[in-house]
Amino acid sequence: MIETLVQDVEPDATSAFEYMVVNLARFIRPNEVTFSGVNSTFPMLACLLAKRAYDFPFTYVNVAGGVDPTPDSVPVSSSDPLLTTGTASIFDNEDFYDLSCRGGMDLSFLGAAQIDGKGRTNNSVIGSWTHPKVRLPGGGGAAVMLPTANRCVTWRTEHSKRTLVNELDFVTADGGMHGLVTPLAVFELIEGALALKSYNPATSLETVRERTGFGFSSQGAGPTPPPTRRELQGLHSLDPDGSIAADNEVSVK
Amino acid sequence: MTARTQTDSKQLSLSKLVERIPDGASIAVGGSFLHRSPNGVARELVRQGKRNIEIVKQSPGYDIDLLCRAGVVDRARTGIVAIEGNFGLAPHYREAVESGALELEEHSCATLTAGLRASVFGNPFQLCAGIDGSDLAELNGWVKIDDPYGSGRHGWAIPYIRPDYAILHVNEITGDGDARVLGTSHWDRVMSRAAEKVLIVAERKVDKAEFQKAPNLTLVPHFLVDAYSVAPGTAWPGSCWPDYEVDYPAVEQYLEAGDEAFDMHLRSAPEALEAKHD
Repeated sequence: MIETLVQDVEPDATSAFEYMVVNLARFIRPNEVTFSGVNSTFPMLACLLAKRAYDFPFTYVNVAGGVDPTPDSVPVSSSDPLLTTGTASIFDNEDFYDLSCRGGMDLSFLGAAQIDGKGRTNNSVIGSWTHPKVRLPGGGGAAVMLPTANRCVTWRTEHSKRTLVNELDFVTADGGMHGLVTPLAVFELIEGALALKSYNPATSLETVRERTGFGFSSQGAGPTPPPTRRELQGLHSLDPDGSIAADNEVSVK
Repeated sequence: MTARTQTDSKQLSLSKLVERIPDGASIAVGGSFLHRSPNGVARELVRQGKRNIEIVKQSPGYDIDLLCRAGVVDRARTGIVAIEGNFGLAPHYREAVESGALELEEHSCATLTAGLRASVFGNPFQLCAGIDGSDLAELNGWVKIDDPYGSGRHGWAIPYIRPDYAILHVNEITGDGDARVLGTSHWDRVMSRAAEKVLIVAERKVDKAEFQKAPNLTLVPHFLVDAYSVAPGTAWPGSCWPDYEVDYPAVEQYLEAGDEAFDMHLRSAPEALEAKHD
């Protein structure tokens, strides 16, 4: 019964917001420990969505210290203490970094301002580090988590040559992003290089190539399978009035 | 019975607490982004016109932005800085780094923790995992150390970080100065052990008997605490779970440009309104 539901495809056009959250959620695997951090609305939604839409068990640890929380509503801040609602333990900031360092973090979602074709990230500066054109927030845990977590996945709401670059202004973190989700496409790291896995049916392979600063393999890539009804229902139950989608505007344009 | 007990002598008003922090001090600031940060202390540092302060915090946001806006800080060691919520970059922090007014030592959150742990453990440095391939290693001159016992593994030596003060915002404190937080302690624990002195701001004072019922919940025992203040609501405009949530309209008001908006923000803070009643 459940399998039928999962395969039941929603025929309507998918918004870019839905595309991103759902495709981030699809990186989550059964029985693993998955983490979402600060400044991470999309991954937070993806983890909460996966709990509602998928039947397999997994452990969701978040930066607020929550372990498998069951919040009634979704906070504006992805580090909000609301994300400890229903938790039976507090797994604090030292704990989840230490877990990653000793090899116990299966999947971590890490943000990035720039990503290169090797899956390295820059969260530090645009321009030179010593004389920055733009000082960015910094990588948070990235320089330690990207090399130590088993898999990391990142996202960018802007898919362009200034975000997906051939050369980073600064390497904040190395270690190879396992996955990248944008409004246009899903990439996966294959033999040390990000390769196109699939693209948004609302765009084309040519557009993805045109708007990506690094070269990539597109072998076997086709349109991304649309969200299932359960994925969409899960997301809508998290954002019933669409206010989170409105606050996180994203477009294929 | 008018004589104060020895323990109660640790309690100060918020302004007296902040008077203890001299210009040039290095302070580790508790909480994370908009959550349970001692923002009343940050605003009081501004009101008292402190200068040349160093901020040590894995994930500061509103607090460091406010201190940059008022010219209080000139050095910072951080992992990630943003207002968060839907507000993104911290504009005054960004401006301070770009103009050179703020000297930044950029860390990963875990490397900053490693530096603090070195102090906690009484060591000159602490090894940290990861970091391989990051430009932060060269930028900061971090040294890679191979396992002397021959496992073939390595770590990165992060030099000790010993702030002069750790300043934490907690839910509850006893008269003696034992402190506890409800919910995650973020990095408050390691900060409280790494700093020379610990200053606490608490939402409320509770009977010691309450702490004695569940001593395992106490984050900082009184003998580590130098002084404290009971200043409810002053993590505003951030949250202090479960007592109150983020006041987003107030954050938005803070982000309005200009001295007038900034003055109005400072005047509308809970500790300023409280002082008016005194």
